[in-house]
Amino acid sequence: MAAMAATSHSSSLDEQIERLNADITRHTASVHALEQKLLHPVNTRVAVFLSLANRQALELDSVELFVNEQPVTAHLYTENERNSLGQGGVHQLFIGNLADGKHSLKAVINARAANNRFVRREIVHDFRKQPGTLRLQMTLNAKAPDYEPEVSFVEWK
Amino acid sequence: MNGRMSLLFRNSLGVVAAMLAGVAAPVANAMDNPLATGVVRFALDTGEAATVSGLAAKLEGESADYLQARLLLASGQDDKARAGFEGVFNGASHRGDAALALAEMAQEDGDLTGAENWYQQARRAGYGEVVQKALLGLAELARMQGKSDAAGQYLARMEDGYWAAVGYMNLAADFARDDLDSSRALVSLRVAMAMAAKDADSNRSQALLDQLNLRAGYLALGSDDYDKAIDFLEKVSLESYYTPQALYLHGLALSRKGNHRAAMQSWHRAKKFPLAFPGVSDAWIGMGRGYDLSGYPGQAGESWLAANAAYEGERVTLGKLSERIKADGAYKTLVQDARSDDIQWFLADSRTLTQPRMAYLLRFMEEPGAQTAVRRVARLDEMVATLDASKYNLQVFIQALEGFVRSADSRAPASQTAAVEQQQRELETRLDRLVEQAATPAQAAELRQLKQSLAAAGRRMSALNQQVVHRPERLETVLEEARAMRDATNGLRRETLSLRARAARELDALALAFVETQTRRMTHALDKTEQQIAHLYEYLALENLGEGAQ
Repeated sequence: MAAMAATSHSSSLDEQIERLNADITRHTASVHALEQKLLHPVNTRVAVFLSLANRQALELDSVELFVNEQPVTAHLYTENERNSLGQGGVHQLFIGNLADGKHSLKAVINARAANNRFVRREIVHDFRKQPGTLRLQMTLNAKAPDYEPEVSFVEWK
Repeated sequence: MNGRMSLLFRNSLGVVAAMLAGVAAPVANAMDNPLATGVVRFALDTGEAATVSGLAAKLEGESADYLQARLLLASGQDDKARAGFEGVFNGASHRGDAALALAEMAQEDGDLTGAENWYQQARRAGYGEVVQKALLGLAELARMQGKSDAAGQYLARMEDGYWAAVGYMNLAADFARDDLDSSRALVSLRVAMAMAAKDADSNRSQALLDQLNLRAGYLALGSDDYDKAIDFLEKVSLESYYTPQALYLHGLALSRKGNHRAAMQSWHRAKKFPLAFPGVSDAWIGMGRGYDLSGYPGQAGESWLAANAAYEGERVTLGKLSERIKADGAYKTLVQDARSDDIQWFLADSRTLTQPRMAYLLRFMEEPGAQTAVRRVARLDEMVATLDASKYNLQVFIQALEGFVRSADSRAPASQTAAVEQQQRELETRLDRLVEQAATPAQAAELRQLKQSLAAAGRRMSALNQQVVHRPERLETVLEEARAMRDATNGLRRETLSLRARAARELDALALAFVETQTRRMTHALDKTEQQIAHLYEYLALENLGEGAQ
């Protein structure tokens, strides 16, 4: 009887934790939306995304990102994140603000190709920022037989 | 977290800039649909659902409904998520994934019939990993209902690998419990070993193989098949949680075969591990027994006295652990302090198996309910950390906004705007003149570019003028919104801390009961060695009497 009481007590605690988690998730999403609204004004906002075109060709280790030769972010990928990218996930690598005009984006990709070769490649992309949010999607690909990494850029305006 | 906070400090000027530019729409409302779908998928897979819940309306494509249901589940809206998954299952894509999610939700709620039905649907509608998980789920449900044969049939349909191996190991445990003969259990364990060997993750595979070999060795020993037992136990790696118990059983098998010297070598190695591990206290007693059976009663007595001292010492350690749990709580004492990194890197590899506190943590985590209780406290700690970060960020925004409201001067911008508008008009006139005079195509292209830039500046200027009219009200609204969120954060934080205190009390009670059991185990071991010592003295006294009589 005591064990049953303890179990029901614990499950009610779990239910309360679940309810609280739902409230906190909603609240954190609101705070996040407010942050985005305040910190990244729409006219100057630039966001950089990364996706994979071919799951098998490259095992992504890390990406370093530079805007106008200044390092802005670096990310080391976990197994879980690699799997998600392989299934169509898109990673928001960077979000920041830039003035209108010409800019340069440099990405340094560290990966292991399907032929077990470790590769480190620098890719530079020049773009023009115009009023309004600019979203840059980098898509990483590598084709047989040499599995040389290629990056294509799509600008979503 | 600190990096993020300092970024917020750096960007606090950005708040002011945002106000000047008008309150911008959040990313959530502006992101393009295909991109939003990918971003949501990545966030869900990596446990960051809170940051993308605003993108739910933007989802598109064949995965949209499935991702939406996952978003609802991640945000704790179980009923809506269930309805969402049911809708996905009745659709065309992700039918297997949705059925698997529904099966897991039903199992969590204790609805075993519902869970079985959904696992069956997942097996039929899914492919790849979904089918494997569904089959394992069905096998476990059958096992829980005592239907070992049905469980075996489901497992037989699984592909080789870790999950199939776990399924067979669980089945072997049932056979070992129910059968008088160990053959069915040993066959299951052998199948599990073959399956585990196919696991691509070598560390996980080795850990499972160690456990399987230990179980098989124990069963063989119980059937008096000592050579088979020794064969299994020698395959357990020497750097595993299962090593001390395997060494003890290895010694026991050798001892039963009459090879006491070799048995004592195994027990001596087992003695090097903390007494918290299974088999170590028995190995201490075994050493004395080995000397005794080999005809060295003096050394046997010394060994048992040494074992006595070790058990006494362990009871003191357990007493201190109990005091620490009462003073600091079990979470800090057992979980947080066990992973302290004040150790040299070259010792780091072996510390897991040589530190008594870590040994007790590992043993404690095997207790029923312990993992759930620890996870509850850890999860609530994470929630507190999230709320603290939100609170800090909101405080920074509120300070920046209040400062801007105080310093806002409605007169100055009007005159500045007029001057800039005048400048814009002048530049447009000059540019029009130059366009007419352009001589080469390159000049014309350059001027076209300039004209575009100037037109963009003009558009922004007029937009700014419209926004400036409503600026004070807009600032006040955002400030009110931020203040309300800060108050809500404080309320949620209080609630989380109160639940954390309750969860910690439950964990403390479990940990104290565990320490008490361990203390009783040490007392029992102490009784056994004292008995052995008494028998030895009795034997020596009788021997002396016999010699005296002669």
